Amino acid sequence: MKFQSIIVEDLQVSADFLRKFCEKSGMVEVNNHFLNAEDALSYLRDNVVDLIFLDVEMPGASGFELLDQLVYAPQVILTTSKVEYAYDAFQYNVTDYLKKPFTYQRFLEAIQKVGKKSEQQNGNSEQDHMFIKSNGKLIRLHNDDILFIESMGDYVKFITPAKKYITHNTIKNLETKVNPQVFMKVHRSYIVNFTKINDIQENTLFIDGNMIPISKTHKSGVMQKINIL
Amino acid sequence: MHNEVDKKQFSFSQHLDTTFLKELYDNDFDQAALVFATSAEQIRAELNIAQEKFSVSDTAGLRKVIHKMKPLFGYVGLNKIISDFAAFEDICAGTADISETKKGFTHIVAITEQALQTIDSEAKRLKQFNTQCL
Repeated sequence: MKFQSIIVEDLQVSADFLRKFCEKSGMVEVNNHFLNAEDALSYLRDNVVDLIFLDVEMPGASGFELLDQLVYAPQVILTTSKVEYAYDAFQYNVTDYLKKPFTYQRFLEAIQKVGKKSEQQNGNSEQDHMFIKSNGKLIRLHNDDILFIESMGDYVKFITPAKKYITHNTIKNLETKVNPQVFMKVHRSYIVNFTKINDIQENTLFIDGNMIPISKTHKSGVMQKINIL
Repeated sequence: MHNEVDKKQFSFSQHLDTTFLKELYDNDFDQAALVFATSAEQIRAELNIAQEKFSVSDTAGLRKVIHKMKPLFGYVGLNKIISDFAAFEDICAGTADISETKKGFTHIVAITEQALQTIDSEAKRLKQFNTQCL
């Protein structure tokens, strides 16, 4: 099965090389190419892809701003000519980082990483629990026990009906590691267990008496996910 | 058969990064000819925009253009120029005063114009080679 992808890149020659390498690999299908983040975001609101080849600096919004607004977490290969973005790339948990211009061999290495990560993520979708490190201990939390996860800067707080656990992690990182059949990001600071949602009022959802904001960009994703009769 | 042999004999000019170019184009000299020609065209267009930004003292805009131009030199095997562009990009990022970028920009314009001659010349060689191979 091929990875379904899009290219977000304002330099045509770079996009042409990417398209050629994708075809040559036989592993990646390019569904579309966008010259700016806004057009890509609009496409991604209605279409699901496995992989985004993403430039960072483009006219208008940057590649990182696009990632901030995504309602789900496809894999991302950053393509940029500026090495200084490597740290941000790490923060955004991207799969790989290609410095332009790059060769086919380097491209293939990146695609192999996508394959490996995809296998790991498929494994995650069957997991019914996770281990978190809190107060020097590894604690097993069942998905069903977690109400939601809240960002606290470089830390996150796991909220269960009985207790709160604080651990060193980020929402961005957890987004790709939690079981997507149970959890979803509803705001840059919140991942919720959507089987625990009691009700939704406009841009706020309620879980066990807790009010959680739904960001404008995540609203349509939330509405798609819940079962409205 | 004769044409296939000829195709393998094309050599990029020695002052370009030939190892990288061989790997990048993998004997697809039609693509190489296209990329060299379009890169030259785009570099010219972007250089004009850079000069406009410089003339209106827009250092942020100038930095963006320089950033966009930078990888284009890589696709034509002029990787050494990329580091000059990266250094100038940092200068632009560190100031809002256009006078501080003047010396660097003069250098950028000079190396770009020189690079364009090299790219045009290689594009011409590639085009001739591909025509002979038809």
